Amino acid sequence: MADYREAPLATRPKTLDPNEYFNLSPEQRRAEEARGAVRANLKRQYQLQLNNPHRKELIEDPALTRWVYARANPYAHFRPTNKTSLLGAMFGVVPLFALYYIFKTDRV
Amino acid sequence: MLKILLPTIMLVPTIWAVPAKYLWSTTLSYSLIISLISLTWLKSSAESGWSFLNPYMATDPLSTPLLALTCWLLPLMILASQNHTAPEPISRQRTYITLLTSLQIFLIMAFSATEVIMFYIMFEATLIPTLVIITRWGNQTERLNAGTYFLFYTLAGSLPLLVALLLLQNNTGTLSLLTLQYTPSMQLSSFADKLWWAGCLLAFLVKMPLYGAHLWLPKAHVEAPIAGSMVLAAVLLKLGGYGMMRMMIMLEPLTKELSYPFIIFALWGVIMTGSICLRQTDLKSLIAYSSVSHMGLVAAGILIQTSWGFTGALILMIAHGLTSSALFCLANTNYERTHSRTMILARGLQMVLPLMTAWWFIASLANLALPPLPNLMGELMIITSLFHWSWWTIALTGGGTLITAGYSLYMFLMTQRGPLPAHIISLDPTHSREHLLMALHLLPLILLISKPELIWGWTA
Repeated sequence: MADYREAPLATRPKTLDPNEYFNLSPEQRRAEEARGAVRANLKRQYQLQLNNPHRKELIEDPALTRWVYARANPYAHFRPTNKTSLLGAMFGVVPLFALYYIFKTDRV
Repeated sequence: MLKILLPTIMLVPTIWAVPAKYLWSTTLSYSLIISLISLTWLKSSAESGWSFLNPYMATDPLSTPLLALTCWLLPLMILASQNHTAPEPISRQRTYITLLTSLQIFLIMAFSATEVIMFYIMFEATLIPTLVIITRWGNQTERLNAGTYFLFYTLAGSLPLLVALLLLQNNTGTLSLLTLQYTPSMQLSSFADKLWWAGCLLAFLVKMPLYGAHLWLPKAHVEAPIAGSMVLAAVLLKLGGYGMMRMMIMLEPLTKELSYPFIIFALWGVIMTGSICLRQTDLKSLIAYSSVSHMGLVAAGILIQTSWGFTGALILMIAHGLTSSALFCLANTNYERTHSRTMILARGLQMVLPLMTAWWFIASLANLALPPLPNLMGELMIITSLFHWSWWTIALTGGGTLITAGYSLYMFLMTQRGPLPAHIISLDPTHSREHLLMALHLLPLILLISKPELIWGWTA
């Protein structure tokens, strides 16, 4: 939908309501409302914790926990693909042989 | 020698006998007195180089700085552990300090050993208290994995060392360091001799760690509690360096040819681990990889076997021990407040804890080898002796220095500058204990600017 915003104090005409514009079915509209309700609940949880004056610890974010775990455990989920094999060879194998050749020829 | 070792051994009954109220202050002052007495080792007087001799132990200008560092570290470890062990029952606190002390005893005996087999036994013995510290007092479930990696990497490297030492004992009839330096160099030419050479060095290269065998280090450093991280970074890595420096005397003619792969691994490791540091999100992991980077320089300095290389390696080992331990203590102050090691969660701390920022600044500058600190002196000597060895190394070492400056500043700017996160609403103020801890780390480093003769070993 275009970047249309209604004028202040006016209401959006019914034909430009996203549900009508895209012809969403009633199931899709209900699903959208349910997702909105879940999002609002999560935001409420976060705001409750954020504004709690007795909180001393950090707010736990499961997405951040998963991200930190993923950053710390690359080897467990490693899969050799074309890209990873090429990177491994370029940075881990070729330089060693190249350096050996350079040092050996330099120092004879 | 015994005037340090016996008091350290007697610290163990003291820990168990002292009333609970005085446990930490007593152990702190006791270990501080031991460390101040250990500074008397620094004045070595004998012409042969070996001082304070007894039949099994001696000190010489190579081991003295490392011994002083080890003894200096025990009060610092006790100071750092006081807070995070406070909620535990008193007998567990006593066990913790006993483990730290027993590690100290093994380390003193390892660095002062004159018989190489005794050094080996003490080298292995240090693994046990460290393993217990990591797996029992670490904070995350990954600590079991970390302990396993740590134990088995080091053991796998050191079993060939045992065989190699027994073979050496068979050949030369003695393994006393006092006389091994005078044995004529052996005729080493067969393939079995080359395997023997590799066997002698592999344990120390894994311990240093060398870039290819470094996987145990980030795990062990990150999962260990603060005292474990401190002793790992400051002293246990240097055991590997010290072992290499001692063994090199005997490995003579083969080293010229066989050291090439290891020098290449070490130098490439400087670049690679430095680059990994630039992309780290976990603070302790960043400091752990920076340790690998610095130790790569030390390994290269030792393997080229020039006197400046050895001197630079020794200076860098001492300076890096103090700096790395200081950085881990700083990371711990963050961890104790936020219980998270993720850097983006606790930024802009300069606004909240400005005095701690001053310590972060000095420690980061020390890490990036700012002149006139001994970090720079060590790195410079290694870099120049490597340049003499081959001009092309300057590309690697220069790039390594650049990347080191990059990630040290990155670490400082990420933790101290920038916006304070909106979700941090209360942080404990900095305890005086933490200020004391940082001062005791960085003061020796700054004092060493004026008398580097203490830590530069036999040469120059």
